[in-house]
Amino acid sequence: MAVGVLLLTHPGIGTALRAVVQKVLGNPTLPVEVLEVPFDAPLDELSMQARGALGRLDGGEGVLILTDLYGASPSNLAARLESTPVVVRRVSGLSLPMLLRVLNYPEQNLEALAQTAVTGARSGVVNGHA
Amino acid sequence: MLERELLVVNKLGLHARASAKLVQLLGGYKSNAFLVGRGREVNAKSIMGVMLLAAAQGSSVVLRVDGPDEEAAMAAAVDLFARGFDEDS
Repeated sequence: MAVGVLLLTHPGIGTALRAVVQKVLGNPTLPVEVLEVPFDAPLDELSMQARGALGRLDGGEGVLILTDLYGASPSNLAARLESTPVVVRRVSGLSLPMLLRVLNYPEQNLEALAQTAVTGARSGVVNGHA
Repeated sequence: MLERELLVVNKLGLHARASAKLVQLLGGYKSNAFLVGRGREVNAKSIMGVMLLAAAQGSSVVLRVDGPDEEAAMAAAVDLFARGFDEDS
């Protein structure tokens, strides 16, 4: 079994990133779901939806939650999900490099994959030429 | 250890989809693989690594493979470059 990936983002972000990554990589290497948090949404209701997504994504190895902006509602919602039966790790700063790198290492466990996400995003920031 | 210089022939160069194809191809082999371009050496099994080369059409990169199946891995990669990553141009 593999880790699941939940993109928990602001409106429009997660869906767009997933679409591009699917185009680049072809068949998804890990199960990916998107939950976009509308502005001013009641977090209690969304929390239910997010728990549903975690249940679908978890194959026993946990779920990596990628959020786009630390401290914003999607990330705060992710923080609430750390007290669910499903083992989760939360990484913020979701970007295309982060997601591409995560899906390139589908054999990794949850802990390693969280670090892979961080490294991918960092290596994607380049000032001018690499 | 095998080493070969490869020409990037496809119009878009080693862009995202081409990089992904190379990384996925090499990921199927046990050998380690490195790509060198413009003095920078990257892990050829790492998508962000390959993309950091930003290799354009007409540029060349050096592929190094090292491991038990290095000959098959090199042959497959040479073929992928020669086919222009199966892109139209």
